[in-house]
Amino acid sequence: MRGALAIAKKELNVYFTTPIAYVAFMVMAFFAAQFFTGSVEAYRNFVTRMSPYEGQQMLEQLNLTDVVVSRLFASVGVFIVISAPFLSMRLVAEEKRARTFELLMTSPVRPFEIVAGKYLAALVVMAVSIAIVAAFPVILSLFARGAKGGSAVEWQTVGTGLLGLFLLGAMCMAVGLFVSSLTESVIVAALVSLIVLLALWVVTIFAVAGEGPLRDLARGMSSSEHLMAFLQGRIELKDVVYYLSFVALGLWLTDRAIEGHRWA
Amino acid sequence: MIEVSHLTKRYRDRVAVDDLSFTVQKGEVIGFLGPNGAGKSTTMRVLTGFIPATSGTAKVAGFDVFEEPLEVKRRVGYLPEYPPVYADMTPRAYLAFCAGLKKLPRPGVKAEIDRVAQLARIEDVLDRVTGNLSKGFRQRVGLAQALLGDPEVLILDEPTVGLDPLQIREVRELVKTLAGKHTLILSTHILSEVAMTCQKVLVIHEGKLVDFDTLDGLIAKHLPGRRVTLDDIAFLEEIYSKLVLPGGLQAASPVAPTSAASAATGGR
Ligand SMILES: Nc1ncnc2c1ncn2[C@@H]1O[C@H](COP(=O)(O)OP(=O)(O)OP(=O)(O)O)[C@@H](O)[C@H]1O
Ligand SMILES: [Mg+2]
Repeated sequence: MRGALAIAKKELNVYFTTPIAYVAFMVMAFFAAQFFTGSVEAYRNFVTRMSPYEGQQMLEQLNLTDVVVSRLFASVGVFIVISAPFLSMRLVAEEKRARTFELLMTSPVRPFEIVAGKYLAALVVMAVSIAIVAAFPVILSLFARGAKGGSAVEWQTVGTGLLGLFLLGAMCMAVGLFVSSLTESVIVAALVSLIVLLALWVVTIFAVAGEGPLRDLARGMSSSEHLMAFLQGRIELKDVVYYLSFVALGLWLTDRAIEGHRWA
Repeated sequence: MIEVSHLTKRYRDRVAVDDLSFTVQKGEVIGFLGPNGAGKSTTMRVLTGFIPATSGTAKVAGFDVFEEPLEVKRRVGYLPEYPPVYADMTPRAYLAFCAGLKKLPRPGVKAEIDRVAQLARIEDVLDRVTGNLSKGFRQRVGLAQALLGDPEVLILDEPTVGLDPLQIREVRELVKTLAGKHTLILSTHILSEVAMTCQKVLVIHEGKLVDFDTLDGLIAKHLPGRRVTLDDIAFLEEIYSKLVLPGGLQAASPVAPTSAASAATGGR
């Protein structure tokens, strides 16, 4: 695995010496901030409009974490889906374009070491991007106080939400890595993985129209649907399995694609 | 050390290498000659395990390139036709990365980088960004990469392309010092280079082997009765054109003036 670590290190080196990762982080921070302030505003309006009598009961059920943090995380999910293709596009395609792929392929490393190294670096960048989002619940907890004097933020829900986002990010990077291994063009890699990932994200549209098995299939396929439980503070096995199977499939297919080069 | 037998490589309908067989002994330096598109780079890519052969086998150090690629890759230093460098990295970071890929023992990596940097004469540019380096320096960074870990077999695809005359001479000296302990295959279009560094010459044309012999053998075979010294490069051009041109010697004669020029740039 020494080869994989060397590749991961080089890949991180490239991520952080070129603008691409920073642009992704800034876009993420900017939109997350927009959504965050928007949700806080909406929450405040809602609370102030509530009459003192009926409101008291409602307010006790109304939970800052669900209203602000979960909504924020749900919209962050879209940005993960949109930003991941741009973070993963270069991974293999650029090596082929710059002909450095020949170096990797003639070095004593197995194809899977290449895949693992590249994916590891991609995960680190994704984790940083999600860590930026994690700052917002922290900010919220500094300024808000819970009804009974405790923390206003349910850290458990925040934790499962972040885990869900990370799994979503891991899935997007695995899909992006595979697509990147199929082409020499980073633009093609970005566009194709963007289309695939967006399709998986919005496939629930068919669930609204369809019924019966079609509806279940659409919901089962959807990457946004599987994020829901995480945002509500629950970790469900089927959701974890969904994301991890995309990761496994993506990595396996990338390995096959690189190994296949030896046969073509 | 290197055994190639009945190697054929086809790209869809184009045959790049056609039933090529040859053997290279340990410690030999082989000059790989042939016109553009002859299949030199393709043969080297097969030997290094980058692309598979369509048919036939290639063995390096007793290991089949296709069956046991890792064993082969561990023993081969390879400079591809296009130096495989990353524009965003410094040569030092790049060589450290390559050392990791080659799994060189970690404690020795620093010294090893200094060693190959000195051999390839890139000590002064180690900390600059590769993308800003001139073509010749990028070529030398690629060469340094091939030398990392002191592999027993070196396969260099046009190692002197883009280098200045003095640097070409240094690479030539380097090849000479590597000879004996290492097995080298180098492709080139500079015939003087072959005459000065290689013990044997392998000429291919349109994917087929046209001759493989020592310099003396080639002279005896193709220029019988001619007395030539190795300082005289013209003889090689004559032999080369005999082998790859249909016209044979008639077509070769006008080449003579250029040969004097190439001998001069050879700097010998
Ligand atoms: N990836 C490829 N797809 C299709 N044909 C290819 C490919 N690579 C090489 N060829 C063809 O194979 C033949 C041999 O090419 P190769 O690069 O091995 O020649 P070469 O001897 O290295 O030439 P040069 O002296 O110009 O470097 C050429 O006809 C070339 O067009
Ligand atoms: Mg070539």
